[in-house]
Amino acid sequence: MTLPAALLEKIASAAVREGLADAVYATVPTPIGPLLVVTGKRGVVRLAFPEEPAAAVLERVAATLGPRVVASTAETAAVRDAIGAYFEGDDETLDVPVDLALVRSDFRREALLTLRTEVGPGHVVTYGELAARIGRPKAARAIGTACATNPVPLIVPCHRVLPGAGGVGSYGGGPERKRALLAHEGALLV
Amino acid sequence: MHVTALPPFWTLVQAHGDELLVHARRLAGDAQAEDVLQDALLRALRAYPQLRHAEHLRAWLYRVTTTTALDLHRARRREVLVPEPPAQAAEAPELYDDAFEALIAPLPDPAQAALRLRFVDDLDYDGIARRLGCSAVAARQRVSTAVRTLRTHGIPT
Repeated sequence: MTLPAALLEKIASAAVREGLADAVYATVPTPIGPLLVVTGKRGVVRLAFPEEPAAAVLERVAATLGPRVVASTAETAAVRDAIGAYFEGDDETLDVPVDLALVRSDFRREALLTLRTEVGPGHVVTYGELAARIGRPKAARAIGTACATNPVPLIVPCHRVLPGAGGVGSYGGGPERKRALLAHEGALLV
Repeated sequence: MHVTALPPFWTLVQAHGDELLVHARRLAGDAQAEDVLQDALLRALRAYPQLRHAEHLRAWLYRVTTTTALDLHRARRREVLVPEPPAQAAEAPELYDDAFEALIAPLPDPAQAALRLRFVDDLDYDGIARRLGCSAVAARQRVSTAVRTLRTHGIPT
């Protein structure tokens, strides 16, 4: 016998309603593959590409936000809708609350917040330019690390940060996805 | 932080949810099984962060499910007998053991022993048979008779 999916959904929703969930996750199908999204009480804490093992992703979330991690499609509707609207081209702002609890340093947090606030869809910056914007013009390499360890790619748009020397550079989800996202936003001529 | 981190709760649900539903069905019948499982998992979620270690989590979930099913029987019985609200379920995991003991206390000793081996120690029927010095068939029979007694007659108060 298999547990009915509807029952699992019902239990997860009840858990969220009663404040018993530290985090809620769901998998969202997108043109660049199924994305695992995890939201905490204050916003999206994690977005992972399918190459990352989901178990490890969820364990890390549990270690930070708490072990009461549940799966629910209904309770992740806001972020799933925002991601849907992004790929449909209806609304590319991905304007959902984000919680950078999984970011390990204030410098990285500031870099990611600045990136999210200042570099909108269709725009790009170089690592060096982003470093300069947070008043650390020599910290381009550290910006690269901040982007490489970004727990919420796509929503914090590290795909819009490019090497000064040209090309798209590296990306957590692979350079192909970075190119696809930039092309989708009209920021890259292919 | 826990020494051994507790796994994300839903990993447990995915690993053991099916068998817990089967278990709930055995204890509470088809009509109530899903309600019992929902109630049990919410109870488990309430207690989960307070667990002091990440061992025997499957056995713990069985215990919570058993207690939830037995509480339901007891609540039903009280609704019929005495118009008073059912006792609030204990939340701390160690209290589940007390609740479980209280619930099986009215049964004859051999039945209690069989249920404890099955639901507290989480033994399979071969293991129970070894402990009770009987055959696995007899062990299964003893457990299912004890469960049926609770299920058919509720808990004597």
